[in-house]
Amino acid sequence: MNYWSEFKKGIWAKNPILVIGIGMCPTLAVSTSVSNAFWMTLATTFVLTGSNLIVSLVKGFVPDHIRMPIFISIIATFVTVVELMLNAFQPGVFKALGIFIPLIVVNCIILGRAEEFASKNGIITSMLDGLGMGLGFGLTLSALAFVRESLGANKLFGLTLIPGMQPSTAMILAPGAFFTLGLMLWGMNVINSRKG
Amino acid sequence: MNTIIKPTLILTAVAFTAAFVLSHVEKITYPNILKQKKEKQDKALLLILPGYKIIKENKTEIDHAEFHYWIGEKEVEGKPVKAYAFIAASAGYGGPVESIVGVDEHNRILGISILNQTETPGLGARCMEIASQNTLFGKLMGVENGDDGNLSPWFQEQFSGLSLDSGINILKKGDWSPAMKNELMERNAITSITGATITGRAVIRSLDSGFIKLQKALSVELNSAGGQK
Repeated sequence: MNYWSEFKKGIWAKNPILVIGIGMCPTLAVSTSVSNAFWMTLATTFVLTGSNLIVSLVKGFVPDHIRMPIFISIIATFVTVVELMLNAFQPGVFKALGIFIPLIVVNCIILGRAEEFASKNGIITSMLDGLGMGLGFGLTLSALAFVRESLGANKLFGLTLIPGMQPSTAMILAPGAFFTLGLMLWGMNVINSRKG
Repeated sequence: MNTIIKPTLILTAVAFTAAFVLSHVEKITYPNILKQKKEKQDKALLLILPGYKIIKENKTEIDHAEFHYWIGEKEVEGKPVKAYAFIAASAGYGGPVESIVGVDEHNRILGISILNQTETPGLGARCMEIASQNTLFGKLMGVENGDDGNLSPWFQEQFSGLSLDSGINILKKGDWSPAMKNELMERNAITSITGATITGRAVIRSLDSGFIKLQKALSVELNSAGGQK
């Protein structure tokens, strides 16, 4: 098994959002600003890597028909640990992420990777898969947030881009997320079809 | 039978382990979380009752709900002037919006500070947003346009000076700017956050109901003080 290919597949070839098409809810919701996207990526990648590790460790003991509740318990535990730790020791980050942290539990990427990959593969490859998927998620999220924040709020990293310009609010609301995501999917398909 | 007992035991073991881990993490983090909540409240109190000394803090029950309020006092031209602060909460779009509010003797808002909210980021959560005076272009070129560190969130700032006697109005004029200040003051109104009018309404509703509770709490206090004499 090639470690490098397990890591990098999450970034393009098996990008969780653009190719597999999972984890859409946080993608649409959190991409309103680039800094939100960054912190969300960090928290999600931590939970993803951690839960992949534990799931891969316990996969031998888990009876097939109750694997779902067990995976979800593991993921929820990780998310709660992140939430408590951030709240106690990094209140600034906790404030910035707010409601997103508990919502990581229901991010399909995490359960999806536990089910599809970590429950069938070794510990190191599972962790690399988690890191790669987290990075792929983060890059897509950042690109989306870059477009939405600059057009929808006339801002980047919280700083005004063009003083006095009226931003198009639609971009910061849900339709803007769908438009941008659609355009990104189209672009990705064009590139892939030319390659193929 | 094995298909029932074995999964049950495994699930119990997983739940037990998770509870064990979480209870320990909670034990480590709880004092810090509590400390931060208190610090946030104290800092907000200084902000919304500027110059006042807190002479009383009280938690009481009004209309079957806990009500937390403070009484502050300062001297103006030799006479003691009182001001009050209370915790106001109301349901917003994504959960309760909790704020601490300072009111002077003439029922004018001295300031509000939102303590907790779970509104939609980019929309309702902009009630916490500090509008930067700097542009990205300026930042890259090294042109500073004033320090953003001392600014307070524009949505909360616009409540200062409004009267709680008559209801506060909501105008949809987009983001706050200094040019709107006079018109908003005249009409005892705030401008709502674009795309998140519900958040603005929730804050106003919490102020109104909190203010009514404050008056009830103060009248109770006055009556009991009178009884002692």
